[in-house]
Amino acid sequence: MNIKNVIRSVSAILLAAMMLVSIVACQDPEQPGNTSGTPDEDKTYTYNTYTTLSPSNWNELTYQDNNDTQIMSYIGSSFYSYDFKFDADGKIVPGEFVMKYDAATKLEDVSADYVGDKWGVPEGAKGYAYKITLREDLKWDDGTAIKAEDFVYTMKEQLAPEFQNYRADSFYVGATIIVNAENYAKQGQTVDGVDNSASGKYTVADLVKGEDGVYTQPDGGAIYFALTEALDWCGGKTVTQYSAYLDAEAFAALQGLADAETGRVAITDETIALVTKLIDTDDWGHEGPENVPYYMVYEYTYPETKFEDVGIFVGETEYEIVLVLAKALPLLKEDGSLSYQSAYNMSSLPLVHKAKYEAAKQEPAEGSDLWTSVYNSSVETTASWGPYKLESFQSGKQYVLVRNENWYGYGVEENAGLYQTDRIVCDTIGEWNSAWLKFLAGEIDGIGIDVSIANDYKGSDRAYYTPDDFVASLQLQSSVDQLKARESEGVNKSILGYTDFRKALSLAIDRHDFAVQTTTSSLEGFGLFNSMHYYDVENGGAYRNSDDAKKVLCDIYNVDYTKYDSLDAAVDAITGYDIEAARALVTKAYNEALAAGDIKEGDKVLLTMGTGTITEVVTKRFEYLTNAWKELVKGTPLEGKLETEVKDFADAWATDFRAGKYDVCMGGWTGAAWDPGYFLLAYLSPAYMYSSAWDTSSVQMTFTMKGVGENGADVEETMSLIDWYNCLNGAAEAKYDWSANALEQEQRLQLIAALEKEVLKVYYTVPLYNNFSASLLSYKVDYITYEYNTFMSYGGIKYMTFNYDDAAWAAEVAAQNGELNYK
Amino acid sequence: MYMFKYICKRLGLVLMTFTIIFVMCFVLIKLKPIDMNTVGIGQDADKLRRLLEARGYLKPIPEQLFLYLKRIVLDLDFGVGVYIPQYSGQPVWGVFIEKLPPTILINVYSSLLAVPVGIVLGIFAALKKNKWQDHFISTAVMVVISVPSFVYASLLLFILCFKLPVDLQLPKSMLSLPDIVSLFPEKGLQYIPLTFNWDLYFNWPMIKSMLPAVFAMSFGSIAGYARFTRAELTEVLTSEFMLLARTKGLTKSQATVRHALRNSMVPIFPSIVGEFISVLSGSLIIERIFSIPGVGALYLSAINATPVPDYDFFMMLSAFYTLIGLVAGLVIDLSYGVIDPRIRMGAR
Repeated sequence: MNIKNVIRSVSAILLAAMMLVSIVACQDPEQPGNTSGTPDEDKTYTYNTYTTLSPSNWNELTYQDNNDTQIMSYIGSSFYSYDFKFDADGKIVPGEFVMKYDAATKLEDVSADYVGDKWGVPEGAKGYAYKITLREDLKWDDGTAIKAEDFVYTMKEQLAPEFQNYRADSFYVGATIIVNAENYAKQGQTVDGVDNSASGKYTVADLVKGEDGVYTQPDGGAIYFALTEALDWCGGKTVTQYSAYLDAEAFAALQGLADAETGRVAITDETIALVTKLIDTDDWGHEGPENVPYYMVYEYTYPETKFEDVGIFVGETEYEIVLVLAKALPLLKEDGSLSYQSAYNMSSLPLVHKAKYEAAKQEPAEGSDLWTSVYNSSVETTASWGPYKLESFQSGKQYVLVRNENWYGYGVEENAGLYQTDRIVCDTIGEWNSAWLKFLAGEIDGIGIDVSIANDYKGSDRAYYTPDDFVASLQLQSSVDQLKARESEGVNKSILGYTDFRKALSLAIDRHDFAVQTTTSSLEGFGLFNSMHYYDVENGGAYRNSDDAKKVLCDIYNVDYTKYDSLDAAVDAITGYDIEAARALVTKAYNEALAAGDIKEGDKVLLTMGTGTITEVVTKRFEYLTNAWKELVKGTPLEGKLETEVKDFADAWATDFRAGKYDVCMGGWTGAAWDPGYFLLAYLSPAYMYSSAWDTSSVQMTFTMKGVGENGADVEETMSLIDWYNCLNGAAEAKYDWSANALEQEQRLQLIAALEKEVLKVYYTVPLYNNFSASLLSYKVDYITYEYNTFMSYGGIKYMTFNYDDAAWAAEVAAQNGELNYK
Repeated sequence: MYMFKYICKRLGLVLMTFTIIFVMCFVLIKLKPIDMNTVGIGQDADKLRRLLEARGYLKPIPEQLFLYLKRIVLDLDFGVGVYIPQYSGQPVWGVFIEKLPPTILINVYSSLLAVPVGIVLGIFAALKKNKWQDHFISTAVMVVISVPSFVYASLLLFILCFKLPVDLQLPKSMLSLPDIVSLFPEKGLQYIPLTFNWDLYFNWPMIKSMLPAVFAMSFGSIAGYARFTRAELTEVLTSEFMLLARTKGLTKSQATVRHALRNSMVPIFPSIVGEFISVLSGSLIIERIFSIPGVGALYLSAINATPVPDYDFFMMLSAFYTLIGLVAGLVIDLSYGVIDPRIRMGAR
């Protein structure tokens, strides 16, 4: 043997062995003692945490993502807030909450004072105008007093048209709409193409005919018929997309008259007649002339508006803010106490430190009209009126918050003993593994459990599990045209267009096993909503716990609840998995597709799975699905002929899926957990749906709304899904107003459940698991509770207690040789 | 004179190339499609369009280019970050200036470590050619080059910062500048965001906190230099002029140092300059692992920002790296003449 080769080999082995030894050379140290410490005023309690992305802009007026709110939450205060409900023994009542005044001392409904044209508050209405009385001891961290005028000044800056602040729409879109806020923010701007079907502004009779025979708006502004613009009336699609259902002759004539670039048609007597004819077809439900305006778009210029006309101003005293809303908001209950919505929709109003804000304004760069501000983007430009203030900030590296001694809350009796934390140090650590080593070394106090360590740490006594409202679902392609377009010789995709096939794919997945195998701590999910969605927050009405919602799941997963002792027992029996039924459905779908010529004998079915990034977890999930579906087709005509592939679509994964560029993705929605009726938008509106080719404006549903008619009569209707949705949310064009303001929540519940069922039964969205995140908390600190409370989470920094002060913790870590054991 | 003309000519070419690349970058990034429908549930659907319009991003591209050039030439205003979440609202130049020092220092320190160690190992391996020492070094070099940097970066983090006895451990991440200020209250140091302050970096705690990253960065370079030096020196040592040097009475070490080493440095030295300049762009992976607030991730973040690329960050970084690349090419070419006076570029 050549001695040189031996030496070379030995060298290589030695090096490899050295590297290996260094990896495995660790020994688990002893677990540190969990001595519960009593706070001592002379000691310092620092909460060390980390973030993967550094915040950059914690300005309430302009922040762009949740990342920025991490500092905002410490340097601001609330008028009113949620708190735990404690029983007589001082124990937390699970799942319940109470409302409390914080920075405000009183909230009064003063709608009656603002009835009339100027503010538009209807006679006898409630919830339109509120008077908020502030505490008189509110101060900035520099000691400057805070009064009502500061909130009014801030709102003026928030809506300032020259700034176009990113959060300005918080006060004219959504639940909180301040009178004239939108007009003030957009004054002078012209919007081309306002959808008349959405605004309901004009009828044909409102229009003015010019000498040239062309109709205009009464003020002379242009108005057109729109052939190629998305219209609310068409469920977010264009007239052209529905041309097959419309009168062909009239459509061709209108196309001939349309502007080639914009697809708009001038409104004349001739074109009005053409549109009338266009929509009067069998397939289009013989719409009458009264619907002609729904196909118009118009140009609109927001009027000059003075801030004095915006519905926010100082009240009779310098500590009173009066707010006048364009849409009623029930911030108070009938008995005058705070409703849950006070903290949900208006826990506070934005507030900036006037002097600092003015100093932070930046003039527009040449070529731009936009004023900007660097307020709240560094220590110098930051002001706090919350429990902590910013001590230091290095972008992309670290920020440190310390107590704001000028915060009113430290003098409030009921906060005695709370807010034990003196300092909050947050490091930016991009790599989880680096953060993990810091956690084990006691340098940070909490971390999410990564899938790579899940098995070792799932059972740790320092592990806790947090549910959220995200239901991870399988999304299956809805565009048959796109499926067909991507087929090739011997490769079929259009069988995915068959509901039975999609249902079979769903029934082939054991949800519980999927969650266990492919997630750290999530639980199986079956519906569009999970236990975090509340249809009646005030009364603790979790949607998934309602009978209507339970019946939906039983119906969808073929569980006959009449055969069980209770609905709960029936729901508990749901697994979502029924391989024999699934195989029968595959065979049925295959035979139908064969008969229809949608698949040829011998074709293989190739499902392309798409994702944003192919990670280990994504691969694991797709592999699981592939195996489940290969198992599914055994004994069916597709045995051995179902294949999958995974492709990376990067940032465009969702857009590409909606455009029909691939077949299967995993996606879901989060948000509006306390308004599931509104949240259905994600599954029914073409603007948001993954299944964008599923036309919810043409799918009809017949349903009886119980007790919502006159004198409590039932109302039976047949409407499209999107029309039902519009009724549920009281949209302007809806036939009925069944919004939260008009109906009892229990009455709305039945419709939410019916719509959930309609979405689930087409199997474009197949729920798989309810998201839970698992975390570890350091021995150094404790939450007040480890039972998640929807309103208070685990109590946050307010209720956090320390088992060690900084010095004691350093000593403890050193005693453990710098390595703590959390197993 | 030849050299002067050559340098002038090359500088002219650098300027021309830079201008062409700069304009191309501007036009291409502006051509990247914008999804105007990017809007969250419950937000004003027209918000993005209005913001883009107000920022002047919907004007014709030539007009935007003119305004941009005017802004950076006349006002030295490189703009403000808009769509990179971590830096929105912050001045592009300020962010860059604050983030460049950590990147430069880590690279300088790693070069200071890598160049001598790498060259010495290379020389040693060359002198011990085909002996066990050479095999050991060559194998180590091969292993280090083959293993991705994040693997030994993670290993170094694990060993140096976690498994060593507590007293000997190095920090797991680079210290923040406010930390340095608080460590030396007597020095009156000040941290002023988005500015350039070397004093905050030249102290032992900061240097110590950079060491794990420096080691991680230098491993690959040490291996590269060692391999390159060994290959060059091995070849030179077998040249006929080395025989001549020995026959005229020089010892082996004299011949090696005076003749072999100098000749082998001709290709090695430019590679040192080139590598140093190229690493100014930072290492995304190393910076993430050791929490270095450097420039490594900036460029990628600027391009991938949604719903619109961060134009100002992209353009400033494109200009910087283009310039660095072009100047590096020039410096490398000129360095040949310094190393070996026989090389005279531009001479006829």
